[in-house]
Amino acid sequence: MESSFPWLTLLTFSPIIGLLVLLFIPGTNSRALRTAAIVTTLVPLGLSLWLFASYDAANPNAFREQVDWITIALNHEAVNIGSSAYVFQYHLAVDGLSLPLVALAALVAVMAALASVHIKKRWKAFYVWFLLLETGMLGVFLARDLILFFLFFELTLIALFFLIGIWGSLNREKAANTFLIYNGLGSALMLIAFVLLISTAGASLNATEQGGDLVYSGDYATIAANLTSGESLTNLPGGYDNPFALSDGMRWTIFILLLAAFGIKLPVLPLHTWMLRVHAEAPPSVVMIHSGVLLKMGGYGLIRFGIGLFPELAEDASFVLALLGAVSVLYGAVLAFVQREFRLVLAYSSVSHMGIVLLGIASLNEIGLQGAVFQLVSHGLISALLFLIVGSLYERTGTTELEELGGLARPMPFMSGVLLAAGMASLGLPGLSGFIGEFLAFLGLFETMKWVTAIAAIGVILAAVYILRSVLKITFGPQQERYAVLKDARLIEAVPMIALFAFIVLLGVYPSVLTDTMQGSFDNIIAHLNTRMGG
Amino acid sequence: MLSSYLTMAAILFCIGLYGALSKRNAVIVLMSVELMLNAVNLNLVAFSKYGVLPSLTGQIFSLFTISVAAAEVAVGVAILIALFRARGVVNVDEFNEMRR
Amino acid sequence: MATVYSQYAWLVPVFPLAAFLILTAFGRGLKQTGAIVAVLGSFGALALSALVLIEHLGGADEYNDSFHWIKIGGYALTAGFDVTNLTALMLVVVSLVAFLVNIYSMGYMKDDERMTVFFGYVALFTFSMLGLVLADNLLTLYIFWELVGVCSFLLIGFWYQKPEAKAAAKKAFIVTRIGDVGLLIALLLLFWYMPDHDLSFAAIENVFGQTGLITEGITTLIAILIFVGAVGKSGQFPLHVWLPDAMEGPTPISALIHAATMVAAGVFLVARTFPIFEASQAALDTVAWVGAFTAIFAASIAIAQNDIKRILAYSTVSQLGYMMMAIGLGSVTAGMFHLFTHAFFKALLFLGAGSVIHAVHTQDIHEMGGLGKTMKTTAWTFAIGALALAGIPPLSGFWSKDAILAEALHANPALFVVGIAAAFLTALYMSRLFFLVFAGNPKAGGEAHESPATMTVPLIVLAVLAVIAGFVEMPFSGTGWFGEWLTGHAAEHEGAALVMLVSTAIGLLGIYLGWLIYVKGAISRDVVTSRAPWLTRMLERKYYIDEIYHAVFTVSLRAIGRACDAFDRHVVGGAVRLAGGAAFWTGRAATRMQSGQPQSYGLYVVIGLVILVAAIAGRRFW
Repeated sequence: MESSFPWLTLLTFSPIIGLLVLLFIPGTNSRALRTAAIVTTLVPLGLSLWLFASYDAANPNAFREQVDWITIALNHEAVNIGSSAYVFQYHLAVDGLSLPLVALAALVAVMAALASVHIKKRWKAFYVWFLLLETGMLGVFLARDLILFFLFFELTLIALFFLIGIWGSLNREKAANTFLIYNGLGSALMLIAFVLLISTAGASLNATEQGGDLVYSGDYATIAANLTSGESLTNLPGGYDNPFALSDGMRWTIFILLLAAFGIKLPVLPLHTWMLRVHAEAPPSVVMIHSGVLLKMGGYGLIRFGIGLFPELAEDASFVLALLGAVSVLYGAVLAFVQREFRLVLAYSSVSHMGIVLLGIASLNEIGLQGAVFQLVSHGLISALLFLIVGSLYERTGTTELEELGGLARPMPFMSGVLLAAGMASLGLPGLSGFIGEFLAFLGLFETMKWVTAIAAIGVILAAVYILRSVLKITFGPQQERYAVLKDARLIEAVPMIALFAFIVLLGVYPSVLTDTMQGSFDNIIAHLNTRMGG
Repeated sequence: MLSSYLTMAAILFCIGLYGALSKRNAVIVLMSVELMLNAVNLNLVAFSKYGVLPSLTGQIFSLFTISVAAAEVAVGVAILIALFRARGVVNVDEFNEMRR
Repeated sequence: MATVYSQYAWLVPVFPLAAFLILTAFGRGLKQTGAIVAVLGSFGALALSALVLIEHLGGADEYNDSFHWIKIGGYALTAGFDVTNLTALMLVVVSLVAFLVNIYSMGYMKDDERMTVFFGYVALFTFSMLGLVLADNLLTLYIFWELVGVCSFLLIGFWYQKPEAKAAAKKAFIVTRIGDVGLLIALLLLFWYMPDHDLSFAAIENVFGQTGLITEGITTLIAILIFVGAVGKSGQFPLHVWLPDAMEGPTPISALIHAATMVAAGVFLVARTFPIFEASQAALDTVAWVGAFTAIFAASIAIAQNDIKRILAYSTVSQLGYMMMAIGLGSVTAGMFHLFTHAFFKALLFLGAGSVIHAVHTQDIHEMGGLGKTMKTTAWTFAIGALALAGIPPLSGFWSKDAILAEALHANPALFVVGIAAAFLTALYMSRLFFLVFAGNPKAGGEAHESPATMTVPLIVLAVLAVIAGFVEMPFSGTGWFGEWLTGHAAEHEGAALVMLVSTAIGLLGIYLGWLIYVKGAISRDVVTSRAPWLTRMLERKYYIDEIYHAVFTVSLRAIGRACDAFDRHVVGGAVRLAGGAAFWTGRAATRMQSGQPQSYGLYVVIGLVILVAAIAGRRFW
């Protein structure tokens, strides 16, 4: 049941179309450029919301686009049947795991485009990179072929490198550099893992159409089927013996490579330092996207490739993952408590919140995994909102040092209110989205690891401590003279704030919007683990 | 039979190598290089006579090599003279133009 | 009997929610209209809950309705509401106090420019509190539990420009959050141990009512964790520290949230999950002793405080201890009865204190005096509240405290002694407070005048309730319908005469002593201070609990934070720099090799060749 019109392609590449329009607008006309960019980002938002609405968890294959893209014929003497070839496909599809993240990416992109009023130079180049970045993010979540995924993934790196390096604050070059080195390393590890996967588990025997040809592809489904069935790898149909059967050691190698690659992105504990720099240096509208969407690619990758392809290994490693998650939660929280710069508080709080994602993943049951994805989406919205406010604050006060701020609730009641509300969402107040993700992750993990969960739950207290410390420092307290004349949010700032907060409330009050979509997305993983336990 | 030729060539090569790496005077370095080249020639001739597949080709090739080496020396000496004109010395350790 | 209104009980919280949304959407543009919207919202809630209560007094069945809130795979988290006699009663208590406080605030907050914000917060609080009461399962309750916490936080910090208010708000949120984590973990435990993962109170009653379904150890653990949550919210020792500081908020808030409703939520929670406690004697004992200790501990602090609201706050802590003790002794009836009467007379006392503060603009009782002459209504109503609190018959506080003490005498005489001692202290500090504020000569220069009608009318209404609320359950035969109706168990009546006698005597003794010291002057005021200054100082400093917490938790957390920061900077960051540095210095060294000396190049080539040959030859021989 494939749809005739390539909706997914349109969704992914609509920013590029907008980019082409953008090229005809003179570079000095910032207002027209911004309007064009905002209008452009609205297209994927509309499309993704429509997709979200029309998606049916019972029939996840309604939207799928699949064509052969690159074919490299191999002259393999060992092959005693037909021929063999590498076939890479242009293959886009949505499922319950990627759809929430696609919608999140499209939404945050619109909000970030609105927030880009604070960009002061080279607007045209900014929006070009911005739209390329959006295409990259959407593609990452929609791709169903490893190589295609990799290409989109790299596109986001390059675009973000320039966005940080050109429009960042004082130490922008250094931040961009650190970002590229770390993520480049991550990509390299990912590429190694992908190549290993394609040339082993990617093998499939295409008996019907090409007359018994052996095809190596990066198709997720093929790889997952091969890895989890455990038979076809060494003994393909037709008596063919796969020369690249995966040994246990090799499986662990690939698994760990994937963990490391996406762990850098998430970021997992010792690999987080690059993110602090990005949070502190990049322009706020870019951090919105970075913290709101790009970090989520790490969580998405962990679930899709780490857990999805190697459920047994993940189960064996689940205690380590949970421990890493719990340590991240507490470590990030404690560090956020002592930071003097608000952006760093938020950066460390991201570390803490991504620890919760790890906890949900480590639970390896449906509740925990849904909690992890829920936490990804919710943190995306919340951190986008927080950085949106940070951008507006910074433009007015010229600082984000906590020592220098204070009493802003008086000159800016609206923005302070939204900041407080966003802080509440971030510390997991029920009724707002942060709670659901946190709660589901804890609930899932509690089934298997009670003590780790209980320890991680202390993070809930610490979150209240550091959020209140910083948010109240900014908004409460006596009014300061130099801030008395500050203006509250303008309309163009208020609209995205309200919109984001509305989504946070929606997810917090009616989480079924998301959980119903995700329904059944993890069935394969769960079923596989259950059979393993049973056998 | 072959081994004595090869030993001879190896000794020649090592002397040449030593000279090429340790002498400061560029003329002596050039002469040492020639020595190494001749060690190689010796090997070629020896293999062509006593090797697994004896053939005249090897000996003819060594003639070629000798003439090419002569041309190479001519070029080398020309560069050396140019350098001497420019810098007034022929000590190799005082040239590090290649670094730039 | 048919349940007509109970089916629509979910609408009760919707009224204040609507008021909150309107107030937030239109903001400051509303001015006085905002107050009216809020009053209408709380009146709607009151009217409907009164109908529900009447229906249940008439013997209506329990009504329950729920839906799947989140469905994941084979699991479902539900949300729903439950109308029992207990919740019907609580609905009326909450919405009545909220309604009165709203009216009172129209006068009290008249000049505040952020009045609509205030009423918005109050409406949000009323919504959350009513939701908490109605919740039919622990998860729904937890959600509203957190929401009332955040409303309390917002209202404590309402005057956000005051550094004390900011600190108090932060403290309240964080300290209660510690308790909340206990409740959260209890929730997780329950979810995985309950059959069918059912968190509803009905299921809890079923499962824990029969022995053996859940092991003793787990039951105790769950009960204790739930109690931790209640300790945080209800200001029990050792998490009581936030409640006195919470008095930085506007006084109507202290009456509504920090006396009558939210702080009682902890007691309500324990009452609601009582089957779990009942299944574990250890948990019951814990509750009883923590409650008893808190009762006497807070009462002793209240004696030495000088801030009128702080005295009342410690008194609240002490009375909540009483309620906990009652439940710990196994009598939900007595605990809920005291909660019910306490809500009225403590709200009355706080609103009276607000009226006083409104008039004299100070909170120090030593700067007040003689207000009884100028503020007659306030003084009379306050006196009723104080007598009710001190447990003087026939006021409501007497009957409910009496029920608790009778229970204690019956179950655990040691706790009875503690209770009596706390009752004596209560009478003493209330008489000190009353006589210092209302008796003697005016100190504020006689400018104090009675508050407007919007403030005094609620006082009068509450005073009437403080008088009559106790008559629903008297320890005479045939009068105990309330306990029977509420929980199915009447209050303890054995030895009632003795208890009544002792507690009345103790109460009167306390008041008499106060009168001797603060009015007659027969006993010098500094009789204790002069002999044992350390004792006074210790009480004034509240047993140094705040200082200890600061030293133990705040300082150590900061130290851990600093240490982690150093670790992050130097070890994690250092490792990163090391890796980067290694690459850099390797490059440097390689650059140095390019010296421009052909001879050294030649040497490298030779070395390389030797290594290569050695490697190939070595490989062959290995």
